This record gives sequence, C-alpha cells and structure tokens, in this order.
Amino acid sequence: MSVKTPAPPASAPPPTRLRRAGRVALRIWRSYAFRRFRRGVLVVFIVTNAGFFLMRAMPGDPVDVLAGQISQRGVSPVEARALAIQSLAFDPGAPLWEQWWDYFSGLVTGDMGTSVTQVGVPVSEVIMKVLPWTLFSVGAGVTIAITLGLLFGMVMAYRRNSRVDHALSLIASILGAIPNYLIAITLVTVGSTLLGVINFLDMRGRYGQGVQPGFNLDFIGDALYHGILPISTYAIATIGTWMLVMKAATTEVLGDDYVTVARARGLTDKRIALTYVGRNAVLPLVPQVAIALATVIGGSILVEQVLAYEGLGLLSLSAVNNRDYFVLQGVLVITTSCVVFTNWIADLIYGRLDPRVRVSDVEASS
Amino acid sequence: MREPILSVRDLSIVYRTGRRTSVTAAQDVSFDLYPGQSMALVGESGCGKTTLGLGLLRLLPRLGQVSKGEIVYRLKDGMSVDITGLAKEELRRFRWHEAAMVFQGAMNSFNPVLRIGEHFTDTLRSHEGEKRRTRAEITARATELLSMVRLEPERVLKSFPHELSGGMKQRILIALALALEPQVLVLDEPTTALDILTQRSIVEQLHELRERLGFAMIFITHDLGLAAELADRVATMYAGRIIEKGSAEDVFYEPRHPYTVGLIKAVPPVIGDLPELSSIAGSPPSLADLPSGCSFHPRCEWAVDACRETVPSLTVLTPRGEDGGHAAACLRAGDIEYTRKVVARA
Repeated sequence: MSVKTPAPPASAPPPTRLRRAGRVALRIWRSYAFRRFRRGVLVVFIVTNAGFFLMRAMPGDPVDVLAGQISQRGVSPVEARALAIQSLAFDPGAPLWEQWWDYFSGLVTGDMGTSVTQVGVPVSEVIMKVLPWTLFSVGAGVTIAITLGLLFGMVMAYRRNSRVDHALSLIASILGAIPNYLIAITLVTVGSTLLGVINFLDMRGRYGQGVQPGFNLDFIGDALYHGILPISTYAIATIGTWMLVMKAATTEVLGDDYVTVARARGLTDKRIALTYVGRNAVLPLVPQVAIALATVIGGSILVEQVLAYEGLGLLSLSAVNNRDYFVLQGVLVITTSCVVFTNWIADLIYGRLDPRVRVSDVEASS
Repeated sequence: MREPILSVRDLSIVYRTGRRTSVTAAQDVSFDLYPGQSMALVGESGCGKTTLGLGLLRLLPRLGQVSKGEIVYRLKDGMSVDITGLAKEELRRFRWHEAAMVFQGAMNSFNPVLRIGEHFTDTLRSHEGEKRRTRAEITARATELLSMVRLEPERVLKSFPHELSGGMKQRILIALALALEPQVLVLDEPTTALDILTQRSIVEQLHELRERLGFAMIFITHDLGLAAELADRVATMYAGRIIEKGSAEDVFYEPRHPYTVGLIKAVPPVIGDLPELSSIAGSPPSLADLPSGCSFHPRCEWAVDACRETVPSLTVLTPRGEDGGHAAACLRAGDIEYTRKVVARA
C-alpha cells in the first residue's frame, strides 16, 4: 500500500466530523473508479498537449490565413496582415510557453478560448453546435453495429460450419475491410445515382431546410431521416468486426464445461444462450467498445465530409485548414474526453459483469 | 427378478472427423443397471468411457452421435423410455430429473458469473411443472442439499465459483446433481483433480448418500482402488468396447480378460510385500485405426493367431448374479490358469 494511515493511539478521542470526512475522501481517492478517472484526465491532458504543439509546428498560423482572406478583397498584403492581427483576440507571435500557460490555465476553469475564424465566438459554443450531431450519429451507428454484431456472431457460433455461418463470415470479413468513407460513398452512388432508391440531395445535411430545431416530432423525425446515411455508414463499417469477434468469443464459451453441465441440468436453450453463453462471451468484448468508438469518431472526419453532415469531424477539418488553434484544441479535448469517459464506464461495467475482476479497493491501492 | 433401471443395448457412438470419415468411440455396448446398484466403468484414457457416460444422457458434443442401439430408462412413473428417440423438450425434462451427471472438471462446471445459489435456482426452476417453487422453498432445498455434502449453505450459496476450492465445487456439483432426486447418477472421474484427503471424504459421502437416497450410480474411473471400493459391478472398457463385466469380486479376484489382468497387475498393493509391478506393453490403439480381430491382440501376451481374425464377443463365463453374470470378450478366457495366478498376487 502506498499511503499509510497511522493507527490511532489506544486512548484516541472519538473521531471528529472533519476526520471522518477525511477518511471518506481518502477512500474515494483510493477507489478503483477514481484511480481510473485520474488516469483518464491525464490522457486528455497529454492528447491536448500533443494537439497544441502539433498545430503550432504546422506552417502558417491564424494570422496568415485571415490576412490571406482579407487581401482577397483587394487590400494590400501588409495592410491585410495588420488588420488580421487587430481583429484576432490573441497574438500568435507570443512566446510558446506564454500561449501554453494562457490556454491551459483557461482550460482548467472550463474556458476553451474563442474561435479564430468566427471571431469572438467562444469555442464551447462552436463545438456545442456540432457535438450532439456527431454523438447522435456515431452513437446510434455503433449501438446498432454492436447489437446486430453480437446477435449475428452468436448465430454464427451456434451454427458454425453451416452455410449460414460461411455466408455471414464472408460478409463480415468484407465489411470489416472497407474503410467507412468508402461505404458512405458507395451508399450514395449506388443508392442514389444508380438505383435511385434514396434522394441524396434531400437527405444530405443534418436536417431539412425550413425545419425548426427544437423538441418536436417534426424536427426529430427529420433529424432521424437525415441521420439514416451517416448512421448506416457507421453501423455497416463496424458490424463486421463485431460479428467476427463475437463468433470467436461464443465458440470458445460453447466449448466450456459449464455449458455442457447446464445442458445436462436440463436448463432451457434460451436460458443457456443468454446467461451461460451470451453473458460470458460478451465479457471480453466490453473493453473494446471504447476503442471502437474512438476509431469511429476518427473516421467521422471523412464520412461527414462525404455526406455533408456538419458534425465534429467537419469542424475539426475546417479548424485545421483555418489554423483555428482553439477550436481544434477544443475538439481534441472533447473527443478525447468522450472516448476516455466511455472507456471509464466500460471498465466499471466490466467489473460489475465479471465477478472475477471485481477489484476491491484494498487490492486496487496496493 | 427385479427390473433394471437402465438398460443399454448394442450402443454405438461415432464422431464425425471429416466430410466422410468418422471414428467409433463406443461400439456394441450393452449392460444393465439395477436400482441402487453402482457400476464402475474402468479403462485407460481414450477408451471411450467418457463418451459412453455423455451418451447415457445424450450430451455428446456436436460431432458425436448415437449411431445404433438403445438406452432405455425406467422412469420414476414406471414407464420405460428409450432416450435415443426423445425429442428436444422431452430430453430436457428427462435430464437431471431422471439421470444426472457429475463431471470430471468440477473446476469449470459452474458459470463463472453466477453465484452458486443461482445455479440451484436455475436447476430447480427449469424442472418445475404447474406449481412454481417460491424463493424460500428453493433456498430451503439448496440448504438441505449442501448440508448433505457437509458444506456451510449460507456462505456457499452467496459465493461465486472462483471463490471456492476444487473439492468444495465437486461437492456442490454432487449436491446439485441430487437436487431432483434422480434415479441414476453418472460420475465421470469425480475425484481425479483432487488431493487424496478430499478424494477420501468425497468417496465416503457418496457411499453415505447412496445408502440414504438409493440412487444407482455409474462411476467412470481409471482408479481401480476407487472402483473396488464403490462398485457392486465393474465393466472394463478397451478401444470403445466393454471387454469384461461382472460383479466387483469376480472382476477383481478372477479377471478373465488379459487387459483387466494387466490393469490389476499395474496397481501396487497397499498391504504386504511389493510384488513385481508391470504395466501393459504398448499403448492403446487409435480409435480411427483399430487392429483387426481383437483390438487388444497386439499388446496381449496370450494372443494366438485366431485373435488376429475374430472379434471376440462378450461370453458369459459364470452366470452368477444380475446382468448376465461374469462375462469376458476373449477367445482364451477359458485358460483360467493365468488368471488364478494373478489373483493370488493382487
């Protein structure tokens, strides 16, 4: 154990309220969940730093980009540059350490700075305009992929070496090998241009023109309609992997003794499939959910581009192009946090699901 | 004469090994088991004992299947049923209710994510008719069963499998096997992975439980000592066939098949001078490529030319006792001379 609590002397006074609070705080600090949480914060910090330095290592800065835009309106380059510096809220010429300190001290208080391209607009506002859309499309896509993938994977394992298994395995390996933006392009070209079953011009974007965002059926229906393409893209792109992984996991569990014993005990097939086979097969896959999510969010940059779906991916792409330092850093903080948070949740769920890895707090702090 | 509780006739079990190839793991197995009787099935690893045990509950893995013969149980309601012809749901209801099985790997016999209590609940709930058992009834039954195998019910029921020792799990599995009062209990090497003291106490408990509850037992083992202790009847298996069967006294004191003789000679006596121990030369044949004639002939020191050609059938030697008395499948079983010598030693 790293932290030692001195044993109270035999004639110690009854613990005061402060002491008791201190002990509770220490317990929380040492708990497994909190240890994982701290590690998550560290990951977010490191990734944000990497983004911070990478952006500044790239040629060109926001002033160059803005000056370029201004000079296109017929202003002389020198004047344009002066105007650009004036209108920007920060000075890219300031020493790196000063910029670093400004940014991270702000970040601690929740201030992610203001956008460089949309002058004066707080980064949090810029991100909040697109974040729900990406979370919605990626979340729904991944959820569908996992649900169907686990189901098909189990069917494949139960019927292994049958025709169903061979067909599904082939489909799964093919789908698993295609990058998601290609799937988006295929959906659009085949569905819209060749077959004409979908009206891409109507479906592109996040919601139709003239629909007022808000909590009403019209808007929700429209958002779902526009979400069909990105959601199917994410689902199709990830389902293959889940099928194959689940098939392997289920096949292994089916060979375990307790499944034979359960059959001998005369349990119903349904009970065996769900509680004996399914639950044990899913266990090793739980930690992979967070990894899958990270991959899909990364892939959203291209998918959102293809489908003209204005989300986090498109935002980060334009932020890179415009050298919008703060927006990109903000996007990194948010996406990394999402992934780390999912990972954290997955870890805790895993501990709940598998009694063998339920880490007691005593063990965890040693 | 009383009626057998289980009678197996000409049972053969094959495993598919490829598109057109298969291996016969049990061939023309026949025996009768009477109520309350205990039969030991002995033989080397790979001789088909476990396959036969699994076959008795139709629990064979995907690639295995009963290719011929019948397995007839006399049920609690007095009806006889051949379980090779049972439909899925009937089979499910039959299992554990009429015949239960205690497996070799008790270490892995429990679902790692369920508490022991839930295993009892699952089992009892799967076999209830119209009337649903209450939680309290289930707990009471589980408590009763666990006390029978001398475990602390409160603690055990709340534990996860990984929190218990191998010996405890084996006992729990025995308790679980008795939950529905089956008439036949198949035990597949129930003490193999356990230390000698735990083995002892489990064997004693099995003895006790059998006397108390009166179930019949099929005991699969390669430990002849254990067989001698627990079994009324013994059947020796070699390369998928029963090559000798009879009462425990007959088989152990007057073995008539050279293979049984070899097995007995390989066991050191606990009391008395150590005689020369011998092992059976060679190794068991591959089931995929059995020798012609008697499959034991390449390892047999009494083999004659005829052994290479004819497959000997089980022939009754002494018609004493049930299930055809003492029988052996050996052309030279009549040459009593050598068997007597072995008896003196063993």
